[in-house]
Amino acid sequence: MDVPSAATSAGFLANKSKFHLLGLTLDDCIRVFFGGNAVVSVVVLALITIFLFKEGFGFFGQNEGNLRVYRQAGLEYVDIIRAQQDDHTALTRYLSDLRVRQFKTMVGAGKLSPAAANQALAGFDDFAGRFGDAVGPIRGIVSDLTEAATAIKDKFINVENHKEERRQLLAAGKAAAAAAVVIDNVDFSAELKPLLATLPAYKEANAEFSRQLTAVLADAPVLPAAELQVRMERFKQLVREYLAGFPVVEQKLAAWDYTRPVPWYQAFTSFIFGREWLTASFWQDWYGVIPLFIGTLMVSAVALVLAVPLGVGAAIYVNQIATATEQRFIKPGIEFISAIPSVVLGFFGIAVLGQALRALSQVTWLAWVPGFPFSERLNILTAGCLLALIAVPTIFTLAEDALNNVPRSFKEASFALGASRLQTIIKIIVPASLSGIISAVLLGLGRVVGETMVVLLCAGNRIAIPDFTAGLAVITQPVHTMTGIIAQEMGEVVHGSIHYRALFVVGMVLFFLSLLINYLAQRVVRRYRISIG
Amino acid sequence: MVTASTLMETRSPAPNLRPTLPAAEAGRPAAPAAPAGQILIDIDHVDFFYGASQALHDINLKVEDKKVTAFIGPSGCGKSTLLRCLNRMNDLIDGTRVARGSIKIRGIDIHRRDVDVIELRKRVGMVFQKSNPFPKSIYENITYGLRLQGVSNKARLDEIVEKSLRGAALWDEVKDRLHASGLGLSGGQQQRLCIARAIAVEPEVILMDEPCSALDPIATAKVEELIHELKTRFTIVIVTHNMQQAARCSDKTAFFYMGRLIEYADTQTIFMNPGNPQTEAYVSGRFG
Repeated sequence: MDVPSAATSAGFLANKSKFHLLGLTLDDCIRVFFGGNAVVSVVVLALITIFLFKEGFGFFGQNEGNLRVYRQAGLEYVDIIRAQQDDHTALTRYLSDLRVRQFKTMVGAGKLSPAAANQALAGFDDFAGRFGDAVGPIRGIVSDLTEAATAIKDKFINVENHKEERRQLLAAGKAAAAAAVVIDNVDFSAELKPLLATLPAYKEANAEFSRQLTAVLADAPVLPAAELQVRMERFKQLVREYLAGFPVVEQKLAAWDYTRPVPWYQAFTSFIFGREWLTASFWQDWYGVIPLFIGTLMVSAVALVLAVPLGVGAAIYVNQIATATEQRFIKPGIEFISAIPSVVLGFFGIAVLGQALRALSQVTWLAWVPGFPFSERLNILTAGCLLALIAVPTIFTLAEDALNNVPRSFKEASFALGASRLQTIIKIIVPASLSGIISAVLLGLGRVVGETMVVLLCAGNRIAIPDFTAGLAVITQPVHTMTGIIAQEMGEVVHGSIHYRALFVVGMVLFFLSLLINYLAQRVVRRYRISIG
Repeated sequence: MVTASTLMETRSPAPNLRPTLPAAEAGRPAAPAAPAGQILIDIDHVDFFYGASQALHDINLKVEDKKVTAFIGPSGCGKSTLLRCLNRMNDLIDGTRVARGSIKIRGIDIHRRDVDVIELRKRVGMVFQKSNPFPKSIYENITYGLRLQGVSNKARLDEIVEKSLRGAALWDEVKDRLHASGLGLSGGQQQRLCIARAIAVEPEVILMDEPCSALDPIATAKVEELIHELKTRFTIVIVTHNMQQAARCSDKTAFFYMGRLIEYADTQTIFMNPGNPQTEAYVSGRFG
């Protein structure tokens, strides 16, 4: 050990690690640096997820409270009668639609001038007017009850605010001030008594309403055109069904009980399956994600229908057919699309595409296209077209990669067997890269689902489930999307309010949707990857 | 022996699918069953370029019908390039061209403008260095070429599959799993599957580009045996690095060096009594 010659010869070993920083060697420093970067991203992801969930889950508790007040303050009771009134309104609309059709047949046949046609329709108008007016008493009751229920609800909210105030004061340590806050608990039973006491009056009004409708129906005019008469018969049938529903309404009202508990899961199901997203309403707020979810789905579907042929087709062309020069132009060209800021695309959509599509829809010889002509410039179609533009670069790039991974030898073998270029592409290249192409499409879908600015600007932002009875024409209707609603409403809501938290839950739905899409994309690749050996 | 005309009849079920090698069509009645030794492929003063670099210099070579012709030579000598010229596979590479000379198969210049290259490739099949079955079932691999030609009769396809697999000495090994993926076979089996796929369309010529270079000795022996059997039905041109293989399977051997044909003679002669000192140096293993 102490032999000098050995020590000198081993010196180069001992000299190795002179560098030290905070007691770490150079290797450790490098490890910490790169490891640290990885940890930061994981931590940030975890924080975002936790934050999202923390804010989101609070929603369900608040929503349960929301639904409980809806019942306890009697709003639910009033809505039973209101539904009856709304059904009547729908029937009135049916009648006015019928009138429009009648008018069209009369004028369209060229027999009558518009004025004469209106005159000829006087009898019908009288009938429709009597039908519409019959609802009068019911409407009066609904409006009275609405006021009463709103008052109870306001009282309750007031009390809740006082409670909150006291809690804050207590938290701040001002016990005296807290004690001074008067809390006058709402006695729902007493408050609801006058409301429920209207039931006999309602029953009376209802009987009168029913009598009037029956009378009106008895002298319904007979329409000249057979096609219209069929509709008239249908109307009569609908009214009879409507009348048959009256006792059911009365039973419901009689059986209604404000003490019936709101089941715990309803806070959840009323969100997931709720068909109404109604906020800042004087009456009752509803947080149902379905209209937004369908909006997102519809817009994405239209975008994919357009983007898949474009993206995959372009990828096949560039990868299999294009010359080197064409490749040099096409590839950067398509990839450049993704460099356009989406707000610019949205702006383009409003200013140019929406206008152009509407103008196109009004061309007479295109009237056969479902949904044409339309008057809403911002709708599913406009947003879908622009989103397709956003999805194309993703789909193109990934599909081209997938095609590129098909071994050249497959292509050569196919050619050597006497296949043409097209046959080789369809029968060998595309099937061999199908998993990659499918995952490209899925990732393109993920891109589209998460896109915000374009849909916010171009989808029309009407929060309603589109009318699917229109068939394909449904794509010319405006919708609102999950991303759009968050961007639009998050800036205006009170921090911590139920509305605020509802938006977080929408964010969670988006999060899970993206997660699902990405998971599927990876699975497809792994499941169908061909082992090339 | 299968004559050219019967070949055409069996391969072309519909008249409109008849080949468009025009003069071959016209010339066929005048060219009856070719006796062994007749010239099938005539390569005449061919210069070939990859872009600006010349890969083949003035190649003159005549391949005889129903014989095995081997191309040997060191890497980069142009033997594979010449092989790929014979079914115009080089067309797939940008910037390649035959600058001078002609390649004639049965008297037809295959680079003529009115030659249908798809029809040419049906007549001149190819087996590649690395086995490349499609990622489909064994059955689909073999029927691929036939389906391209519009054959869809199930019974007929079944018959050809069996015949081709028997022809490639693979039938007994795979007859119970025809619908399993071709990629699940061993390397040697895959290569024989590729041979079966090539012979399923009944070509006249089979080009083999180092078919055994990725195979172990046992699989190699099987393929060589197969080549020997196929010789009775097809004209075979094989590129190989393996001198023993050339000596074992071929009737004639061509030695290439630096893009030039150095010597072309009977295999016996090339290996026993080469006329050129370079050939002798190569076959005796002193370079290459």
